[in-house]
Amino acid sequence: MRSGDVQVRLAHVSLVYEGDVVALDDVSLEIARGERVCVLGANGSGKSTLASVICGLLAPDAGEVELVGERVCADGAPDLEAYRRARRSLGLVFQNPDDQIVTSVVEDDVAFGPENLGLPRDEIAARVSSELHRVAMDDFARADPSRLSGGQRQRVTIAGALAMRPKVLVLDEPGSLLDVRGRSAILRVMGRLAAAGTTLVHVTHYMEEALEADRVIVLDHGRVVLAGTPDEVFSHGRELSDLGLEVPFAARLSQRLGLPWTCDEQTLLEQMGTWFFSQREGDRSQAPAGRAAPGATNPSPSLCEKNHVPIVQVEHASFSYDRRSRALDDVSLRIAEGRSTAIIGQTGSGKSTLLRLLCGLEAPDSGRVLVAGVDTSTRRGRRRAQTAVGYVMQHPERQLFAETVEKDVAFGPRNLGLSADEVERRVSEALEVVGLSERRGVSPFKLSGGQRRLCALAGVLAMRPSVLVLDEPTAGLDPRGRAMLRRVLSRLSERGVTLVQVTHSMEDAARADQVIALDRSRLVAAGSPREVFAARNERALAEGGLGLPRSLRVARELERRGWPSLGDPLTTDDLVAALNVRAAGSSLPAEGGEAEC
Amino acid sequence: MLRISIGQYVAADSPLHRLDARVKIVCLLALLVGVFCVSGAAQLALVAASVAGLLLLARVPAASVIASVRPLVAFLAVLSLFNLFFVRTGDVVAELGPLSITSGGIAAAALYTARFAVALVAGSLILLTTTPTQLADAFDRMLSPLSRIGLPGHEIAMVFSLMMRFVPMLADEASAIIDAQSLRGGALGTGGVARRVRSIVPVVVALLASGLRHADGLARALDARCYEGGKGRTHLHEQRLGAPELAAALATAALLVALALLG
Repeated sequence: MRSGDVQVRLAHVSLVYEGDVVALDDVSLEIARGERVCVLGANGSGKSTLASVICGLLAPDAGEVELVGERVCADGAPDLEAYRRARRSLGLVFQNPDDQIVTSVVEDDVAFGPENLGLPRDEIAARVSSELHRVAMDDFARADPSRLSGGQRQRVTIAGALAMRPKVLVLDEPGSLLDVRGRSAILRVMGRLAAAGTTLVHVTHYMEEALEADRVIVLDHGRVVLAGTPDEVFSHGRELSDLGLEVPFAARLSQRLGLPWTCDEQTLLEQMGTWFFSQREGDRSQAPAGRAAPGATNPSPSLCEKNHVPIVQVEHASFSYDRRSRALDDVSLRIAEGRSTAIIGQTGSGKSTLLRLLCGLEAPDSGRVLVAGVDTSTRRGRRRAQTAVGYVMQHPERQLFAETVEKDVAFGPRNLGLSADEVERRVSEALEVVGLSERRGVSPFKLSGGQRRLCALAGVLAMRPSVLVLDEPTAGLDPRGRAMLRRVLSRLSERGVTLVQVTHSMEDAARADQVIALDRSRLVAAGSPREVFAARNERALAEGGLGLPRSLRVARELERRGWPSLGDPLTTDDLVAALNVRAAGSSLPAEGGEAEC
Repeated sequence: MLRISIGQYVAADSPLHRLDARVKIVCLLALLVGVFCVSGAAQLALVAASVAGLLLLARVPAASVIASVRPLVAFLAVLSLFNLFFVRTGDVVAELGPLSITSGGIAAAALYTARFAVALVAGSLILLTTTPTQLADAFDRMLSPLSRIGLPGHEIAMVFSLMMRFVPMLADEASAIIDAQSLRGGALGTGGVARRVRSIVPVVVALLASGLRHADGLARALDARCYEGGKGRTHLHEQRLGAPELAAALATAALLVALALLG
């Protein structure tokens, strides 16, 4: 690496926020031209601070920083003029596209940076059109950003950063507020940029996104704890999970199957192909064709069992916000008491509208919604539904307002006019369920991202709803936060609370008792996860922008490569079990596999 | 969910879209002054015809014009009823109990309502054919004399532009907060004055917190994109005064003269 090729050099950089919060602790790193570096770390690990230091927005308290050839900071003393010069060659895209778009016309927003650089008009116009083309947003040049999807908006902000022709582009969790489709579009754009030689620094807490990087850096409490190629870093599975991170699916699977370790799904699939056929060489003729697959004989309990009392019934409900389009079109479904339901569908499919109908915030234009037997078409009916249903909106932590966790949670019970004792009892109970009993006197704004969300959840639980409706409860959380929230939800489920959640994660959906798939305001599939993710629905789901749970996707791919039926495994455990049965079945012909069922 | 839209720009390629925004703003102001001086049928017919002509020239679908005016239709109706019942000049035409309708009242109701409707359409026309950025740039230029005497002309224009962008978003968030709190028994807009005031506090606090978060994000974005105030900035959109602008100014002046002659 020639020194002229180094775009970013940090030496012994430390940064401490007010209140002695150490954000960066003796960090040293170099990033070469054209490199694609991925920074991983849990919430509070300092990765966002590192992003700000690399793009010249924050000067450290100690250490040296050299950015795009400018020595901007030496021994903790920033050179502001050098910073100004360096910033002109550094680009940043962060989490929330809404905060980064400064105008109400797409092309004007992309032009904003070049305008600030004082470029001539022709040059600005040329850059705007070429960068919009690069992120595949050419057709939206004159559009209003507020009418675009989150993923499209984030692509606009990337074009805005690129139009300044930065030497280094820093992306700070660009996909964490987006749905699966939005996120993969951002990844495709990043792939193209990397191929074109742009130096990329990508901060994320999605491990799968790090696989494409040249180098992965893992931060914990402001220190670099692991660094190397994705393969090197992800082979430290135990350390990563101690840090509140996880390893990519392929790595986990290869490890559990005792195959040579890999974190690349394609490699794994190929390995599995040879593994299987090496074990059943010459055994092919005896392959028990068409035999019932393991698991299929033992389906998970079907959710449409008629003997379950529906606590929520939706009958031919339609709803629209304006005359032009329907947000929900003739949707019918039932939700059984005490069960968990996942609603899947891409942005704009009508999921959030359905939730608003379920919790009595809106009444359907036609059709009926019954909550605990009460029709929500009347104001009184909606009031009743609102008491029975607790609604946890998207990013509910944005609605926290009280000075302490305790007071925020007590808001609901107090409004009900309950006695002080009863309020206290409910607050304690709700905080205990979410595991925040220890932090009740703290300001909610001092909690971590995951805890803040749990605090907002406790506020809804203190109303003692019998149905809990959640809109993307894990969106934007790091792996530790996601795991925390899932644990709380399963605890609630055990206590008999009916759960309805909108999710973008097919793995979460696979764990629910019932799955409801929406596409363009209509219901496309409903039933147990096994029924919804059945092979016959694969096309309809794909058309609706929905995928399959990872395990099922791997199983189907293996079947395409010649494995016998693996019986639609929905979880990693099911997949591993099915693979072992099949692999064993091939060496112990016929009954071997059957006995396992 | 409620959707507030400010500046319902409709993209199209028309002479009105291409016209320099500064000239559009000045001509609109002149036109509005003219409209509010209208006192007779002939004058009214002239301004209505001019605005109708502009509508045709703008090539904006009628539906978007109606949509942008609709929120104020109720106000128009109240205005006309007010005039109808409370102006007592001329002959009494009809009597409904204590209320009487006079010929003067009918004329006033018709005139004021028509005048206001014409002004409203003219105003919405500028928002329909001008992007918020163009408006902000125009204000920036028009306010630049202020910068020369040390007042923040450019900054005022920038704030205006950011407002266009962020107000609808904050309004969406406010409605989400209100929904969430009303589901938790928060009683916004019910009960006595004291209760109403108390119930507004949690909404305002949550909204403020969210506003601050956006402000933080926005500051980071502005820094990252090297925004350093108006100095040294260039503009993607050209602002130039040419033949069309001259024609627009002359046409407006001609209209005002014609109105004065008819009056």
